[in-house]
Amino acid sequence: MSTIEKSPPTSAAAPEPQRPRSHVRSALRGDVLFAVVAFGVAVLAILPGRDGAGTSISTMQLVASMAAMTVAAVGLNLLVGYTKLVSLGQGGFYAIGAYASAYLTLDVGLPPLLAILGALTLCGAIGAVVAVSSMRLRGPQFAVITLVLAVLVERILNEGNAFGRLAGYPNYAEHDTTSMEPVSVFGITFRPPMIAGEVATVMVPIVVVTVLVLIIARNIAKSPWGSSLSAIGESEMLAAHLGVNVFRRKISVFVLASVLGGLGGVIVTQAFAHLQPETFDIYLTITIVLAVVFGGSGTILGPLVGAVAIVWLEQSDILAEIGSFQQENISDTWYLSTSGLVGVLFILTLFLMPRGIVGTAGQLLATVMRRRAAGPDAASAEGTAGAAADQRAEDGAAAATTSTGQHARVERPPAASGPDTAEPMLRISGLSKNFGGLRAVAEMDLAVDGGQIHAIIGPNGAGKSTLANLLTGVYQPTEGTVTFLGRDLTGQAPHHVSRAGVARTFQTPQLFHDATVRANVLAGFADTGRTPLWAAALKPPGRYRRDAEMRAEADRLLDLVGLGDVAELRASELPYGKQRSLEIARALAGEPQLIVLDEPAAGLLATESVVLGDLLLSLRAEGFALVVVEHHMDLVARIADQVTCMDQGRLLARGTPSEVLSDEAVVAAYLGKPHEEGTH
Amino acid sequence: MEPVILGLVLGGLYALLAQSFVLTFITTKTLNFAVGEFVALGAFATIAVSSWSWLPGFGRVAVGFLAASVVGALAYRFIVLPFTTQGEHDTRWLLSTVALSFVMLNLITNVEGPSPQRSDTARLGGSVDVLGVGVSKQQLLLAVLAVVISLLLIVVSQRTSIGLVMRAVSQDPETTSLMGISPRLVGMGAYAVAMGLAGLAGVLYAATVGASPVMGAPLLVASIAVAVIGGLGSLWGPLLGGALYGVLSEVASFQYGAIWGETAGLLLVIAVLVWKPEGLLGRRMEVKL
Repeated sequence: MSTIEKSPPTSAAAPEPQRPRSHVRSALRGDVLFAVVAFGVAVLAILPGRDGAGTSISTMQLVASMAAMTVAAVGLNLLVGYTKLVSLGQGGFYAIGAYASAYLTLDVGLPPLLAILGALTLCGAIGAVVAVSSMRLRGPQFAVITLVLAVLVERILNEGNAFGRLAGYPNYAEHDTTSMEPVSVFGITFRPPMIAGEVATVMVPIVVVTVLVLIIARNIAKSPWGSSLSAIGESEMLAAHLGVNVFRRKISVFVLASVLGGLGGVIVTQAFAHLQPETFDIYLTITIVLAVVFGGSGTILGPLVGAVAIVWLEQSDILAEIGSFQQENISDTWYLSTSGLVGVLFILTLFLMPRGIVGTAGQLLATVMRRRAAGPDAASAEGTAGAAADQRAEDGAAAATTSTGQHARVERPPAASGPDTAEPMLRISGLSKNFGGLRAVAEMDLAVDGGQIHAIIGPNGAGKSTLANLLTGVYQPTEGTVTFLGRDLTGQAPHHVSRAGVARTFQTPQLFHDATVRANVLAGFADTGRTPLWAAALKPPGRYRRDAEMRAEADRLLDLVGLGDVAELRASELPYGKQRSLEIARALAGEPQLIVLDEPAAGLLATESVVLGDLLLSLRAEGFALVVVEHHMDLVARIADQVTCMDQGRLLARGTPSEVLSDEAVVAAYLGKPHEEGTH
Repeated sequence: MEPVILGLVLGGLYALLAQSFVLTFITTKTLNFAVGEFVALGAFATIAVSSWSWLPGFGRVAVGFLAASVVGALAYRFIVLPFTTQGEHDTRWLLSTVALSFVMLNLITNVEGPSPQRSDTARLGGSVDVLGVGVSKQQLLLAVLAVVISLLLIVVSQRTSIGLVMRAVSQDPETTSLMGISPRLVGMGAYAVAMGLAGLAGVLYAATVGASPVMGAPLLVASIAVAVIGGLGSLWGPLLGGALYGVLSEVASFQYGAIWGETAGLLLVIAVLVWKPEGLLGRRMEVKL
């Protein structure tokens, strides 16, 4: 970005051009380091099998099981950990991947690589069908539908003749062998760890695939695509307002998780060359969930750590020994063996370590780091950020142009100065909304221009929030139209409205409470809704630049709303008033032209309300159009250019603040008039 | 006609268990994925006291009910409740009840052994003729019981304040507790009744097929399917869901073989959830901003 170099070398702006580039460098360093360490660990893991010694066979099988479980768990983590959709069906996809890749090779006769590809496609297709049919569901219903899938798959494998039932697959009766042929590619045969003296070459692609899956999942988790998953997990409505097509994104993530589940199964087929239906039971699907929760759901390394730990626990003698220990010391019959102990471990994890191993460790580390970082560093940050915020609050437009803001938003001419000045930026006409028999909003008109603050007031139940919800697409209007920048937005879904340039804040701040303040703002960028999956997974060079750019812009926005000094805090640690400011910063990140604020001053102290007023005025100066639903009359009187008062869904009065606030009907609506009490 | 009658009768067993899902869901918004093990628990508790000749048959059935009911209340208090504290998107209880099912299944297997045990308590021999189809008396008893208990629950929830309390607790536990009602106690009560019903179903079911640790697992999936089809929020739901699921799966397995029976039933769940996510008789909750 050439504009970065062109920034004036004033003392205040001098360090800023450096920052994006150093962020690119440190991000690149982190990614390379992760890949190197991951491949290093993978090599170490398969090193014992390098000469094919008989003693290494069980170790290699263990590593293969761990790899398979890791891949499936990484996929499930995207669903359970980030999107907060608890799926009990991952074991089903695991089984489909395993059996389909074997069946397509043996019974259909496809070349092995094509068979694997076919199996993964099948998993993705079934995942898509399940996803489309279950996307309106959450929580228990979603879990039930995925459990139903896993049970169906289990039954078909156990009872379908094509898969040999209990004889396993392949079996003597139908294939004259009980093990699959090893895959050969370009003359290299990938042998499973089965026969002593033969090097288990298949281990190499297995660990390479596992590492690649981890890297891709890490890229996704750290990308805007990943934040969109977290946004959906927090609140689908919020995600939609950030410009995310929630329906499509949920389907994509479910398909991705299904394919990874299937890939885990493919690894099993390649590593063991034989499949038994009873190993693909409900217990398996729960074990994958446990691996995610135990390792740390919503963390990058959690699934790996969890899968390795669970597989090791199950295959080692520890659980069996605990079982016999109980038998000897407590009771011969009242004891728990492996599956029961796994259940106990699951419950204990939920009780003691809800964030899992990685999550808990990460939390401890963060606390230590922060304690160490606190001190001189924090104090200086506060100084500079505070000064910058003061300056910008006074002269918002000027400050924005002189800082790193090479962004279109500031340079974009406000719509008011466009060619067709006659048409306002936002025009609502005849908008109505019925809820059953209740007419919440009736024939409302509204016109707002860039550089204007339009306040909407009215007593409780007047339909103000409903109007805001109609405007941003939460509700479908019964009648009327919404036109924004000449585009018809009537009845458009929230993500379309958001992408068209309308941002909003909510009555109760909807934030990512566990994420940092900066991460909250980062989620507000249009990238959250627009980054394609492939770009998130592969992380092309442009991504590094854009990430650094977004980070710089997020910090600028945080300065603008006066949160520059707390960017590293968790959002939940902010006082209520600052949470509201953070929501505004996030709304600004989407580069909107119109911001709808639903009671931004509710619950604020008088002083905070004044600061909020300053902020809104500076936004107006920058050319934003603002629609503010508000109860605080002093704030309204101070900032609004136009005030609309609603009562019982209808327009009651409109004009300048002083006109409306002195209007008799408005006063009556707020305070009531004894002799008009009967009217409805 | 035969598969239809048999399906309706079979649906009765599922409906009885589905009722326990509905009960816990109405009051606590949770489901106990360990219900299958409570079925086995009830059956084995009754077998354990079957040698007490002084206890009449009714008393032995009550033991099965009570054992499941006490463990159920404790399970709610210690396994479910601690994992429902993070608001409505908190689904940790789902995992903890699945884990509970592992523990209980394992424990029952270790104590009682894997093979089925004969249970003579509350067994009705022979069959009766229903519209020309021979139906075993035991299965008919389960079906009739499901209907009677459902009607009883509906009457209780509509005519007494208990129903109001249950709905109030599920909608807003905090406000309800300010009204002097302990959501925790109500939840434990709901789990006690719900798991008691599962235990009862276990006692009666074991009289036909014998008691085994894994007897509940196949029932779990079918009954949860029934509950979801009917709607997790409706006490009428299990009756409708049970009838539909039972008839469809019996007819399909009659026509195309056993594996298709179950598949058809489960596909029905998917179809219903796609069409009406809240179930056939469930009411839709509006999302509020």
